[in-house]
Amino acid sequence: MDRIDPRARFIVSLAILLAATSTWNPTLLAIVFAIAILWYASARLSFKDTKLGWLMISVMLFTMIVVNTLITGGGAGGVVPPGGQLIWPNGFNLFGKHFVIGLTIERLWFAIAQLMRILSISLAFIMIPYTMDSRAYGATFSKLGLPDRLAYTMELSFRFIPTLARNLQVTMDAQKARGFELDARRGGLFGKIRGVAPLVIPVTMNAIVSSEDIANAMDLRGFGQRKRTWLYQLRYHWWDWVLIVFSIVLVIVYMVLAYKYGLKLFSVPGWWYSLFK
Amino acid sequence: MVDQTPPVLSVKDLSFRYHSRQTLAIENINLDLHAGQVVLLAGASGCGKTTLMRCINGLIPHSYNGSMTGDVELFGQSVIGLGLSDISRRVGTLLQDPERQILGTYVLNEVCFGLESLGMSREEMLPRAMKALERLEIAYLAEKETYYTSGGEKQKVALAGVLAMEPDILLLDEPLASLDPASAHEALRAFRKLADEGLSVLIVEHRVEDVLAIKPERVVYMEKGRITYDGDVAGLVEVVDYGRIKLPADVVMRRSQGKPVKQFQPAVPKVDPESEPLVSFQDVCFQYGAENPQVLHGISLDIRAGEVIAILGHNGSGKTTTVKHALGLLKPTSGRVLLQGVDSKKLTVAESAHTIGYVFQSPTQMLFAPTVREELAFGPTNLGMPKPKMLANVEWAIKTVHLEEELATPPLALSFGQQKRVSIASVLSMRSKILMMDEPTAGQDYWNYQAFMDTILQTPGFDAIVFITHDLDLALTYANRIVVMYGGRIVADGTPQEVLAEDEQLHKWRLEPTSLLSLNRTYFERTGQFLRAEQLAQLIN
Repeated sequence: MDRIDPRARFIVSLAILLAATSTWNPTLLAIVFAIAILWYASARLSFKDTKLGWLMISVMLFTMIVVNTLITGGGAGGVVPPGGQLIWPNGFNLFGKHFVIGLTIERLWFAIAQLMRILSISLAFIMIPYTMDSRAYGATFSKLGLPDRLAYTMELSFRFIPTLARNLQVTMDAQKARGFELDARRGGLFGKIRGVAPLVIPVTMNAIVSSEDIANAMDLRGFGQRKRTWLYQLRYHWWDWVLIVFSIVLVIVYMVLAYKYGLKLFSVPGWWYSLFK
Repeated sequence: MVDQTPPVLSVKDLSFRYHSRQTLAIENINLDLHAGQVVLLAGASGCGKTTLMRCINGLIPHSYNGSMTGDVELFGQSVIGLGLSDISRRVGTLLQDPERQILGTYVLNEVCFGLESLGMSREEMLPRAMKALERLEIAYLAEKETYYTSGGEKQKVALAGVLAMEPDILLLDEPLASLDPASAHEALRAFRKLADEGLSVLIVEHRVEDVLAIKPERVVYMEKGRITYDGDVAGLVEVVDYGRIKLPADVVMRRSQGKPVKQFQPAVPKVDPESEPLVSFQDVCFQYGAENPQVLHGISLDIRAGEVIAILGHNGSGKTTTVKHALGLLKPTSGRVLLQGVDSKKLTVAESAHTIGYVFQSPTQMLFAPTVREELAFGPTNLGMPKPKMLANVEWAIKTVHLEEELATPPLALSFGQQKRVSIASVLSMRSKILMMDEPTAGQDYWNYQAFMDTILQTPGFDAIVFITHDLDLALTYANRIVVMYGGRIVADGTPQEVLAEDEQLHKWRLEPTSLLSLNRTYFERTGQFLRAEQLAQLIN
């Protein structure tokens, strides 16, 4: 992955995102999912390194798929046609009680399709912060056509994330020294928000105060006054072009199939129904 | 001696008022700066130093709105109409906190930031960046991540980023604020060298005595937005109020002769060496995770009632890590810490807070409540204090720091000095037995920090006080015991006169002897204790 130009990396990840969001067709989703897995595998990241990122994605997946799609069914609205075949038409018994839930075969497939889609996008993008040199963001985004201010924002956030984390730790220690315990939060949404105020307010206020100095430091070194150059060197190789062409072809094929041939719409493969007979 | 060369910087009848304020921040400022000069700009907090710097480096009027009259000229050309990038090529500014000035994740990228903004090619910028790093003797840091550089290194990296733009004038805003004494002296020597190479250096600093060591050509003193003195060092020390800025101790002693001296009587009880220690460190070692190196090596230390302990040491020597163990914020990897006889591993931080009140360095890292009253009630409430007792303690704490009128004010709307006092009061209100303070004087000017320390030490209610500081004079003035840390070990522990006996030893520990220390040594046979310069004057005569 180190040999691939950061711009080409972004273009491939972006192509996976566009392809995955263009269709609900089972075959097309499975193909893009497989491409995403291969792309992620090429980065050779260990689970230990990426654990935190996957934890966050797991929480998101759980909320979207288990809660929103399977239990409440809200997430499937507008994609899965109403009606469908109930998986347990007569309900089922568990721990001596009788349960009736409205989960359909179609909604269960939708959950799987959604899982493939979100995982494809996650696989394509979670690798970026772990594989990219923090010095490369500004140059990469700028050369991809973004304005300097926007391009530098990403690089700057990598500079200040560790500082923010350290400030949070100091504030946590300072409040603990005043007997504050995070576990002893009050109940209810409002109570919970109030409960974290002793941490969130000082950290936010510090960030705001710091931002004035940071803006001054940038202004004093001429930032934004003229077109910027970058110390970080970017150079395309033939393999980068192969990846870029592949990405363009992928997006075009998916768009044509989705919008011209109607494969954009949700459908359930025949074999899926046979599993529930 | 008057410099006959034309000035590189000329400030003419300059006045400025921020849009949000009614009064002028600076008024009728006239100032010339010549090539190769070091000029010290001194004054108490709020005297207008920072505003003047902003007018010179172009942040006013480009980033701050207000009404300005008069002019600032660079090489005879008015800055009005010049863009910030034009000004920044001639005027380089080092901000107070290098942590916030450093924008790059790696040192070389940081140094090139300004050059990138000027649109230079990589081939042009690399040699300039390397030259700036070599000039400050930190070329070995080029490929290091900025986050992992030390405080002294950070400042040099930030300075290299400014020097790479090859300015003619260097503005330094309180450049010593975050440095330990040895790093501060190193930085000052670097500034002198730059001036000797032809740069004009304007240093804004209230650690006047430290800057005098590099023999500034001129000193400008500001009060209430006006320049009240502009001349040589010898003249300054005779005219300014020695209570407002820190002057050499021999000058203060001479000038304070025959004048009344403030009485100072610490409120802690007398030390009983036989008493049970309040806190006991027993061979404490500590490391942050098994993969990281050990940062504390066999710390053994007893803190008893009546002690006022100053912990001295260079940046990264383990001072804060040690103090955090007392409160249980960190637990020893080996050894143990006993709090009134109980192992800290058996106590929660909240339980330890009944015994130890710990004030962190920066008040903004802890203040959050909508009013000062609620801020002060936060700690006692967390500790489960009954309401009537809590209210009484809040009243007592706010009176102690003289901020009774601000009880309904949001703490974050107060000035920095007031915020610092609120942060202390919010710990005082818990009525802990021991007060621990990390760099209690950081960010405050001389007058404010003296008043602040006098108040705290004369406040009844503490069995012992412990403070971490870089300031040798603060330690010898207020502490009855000094602990010196070096490289994660306690290397000296005793009375101020025992610990601070030899200059050679102090240099080894990266501490710098001061004029007050040497004056105290001179008169020690007659005084039998270390005193402030004013007290020495009274006692000797």
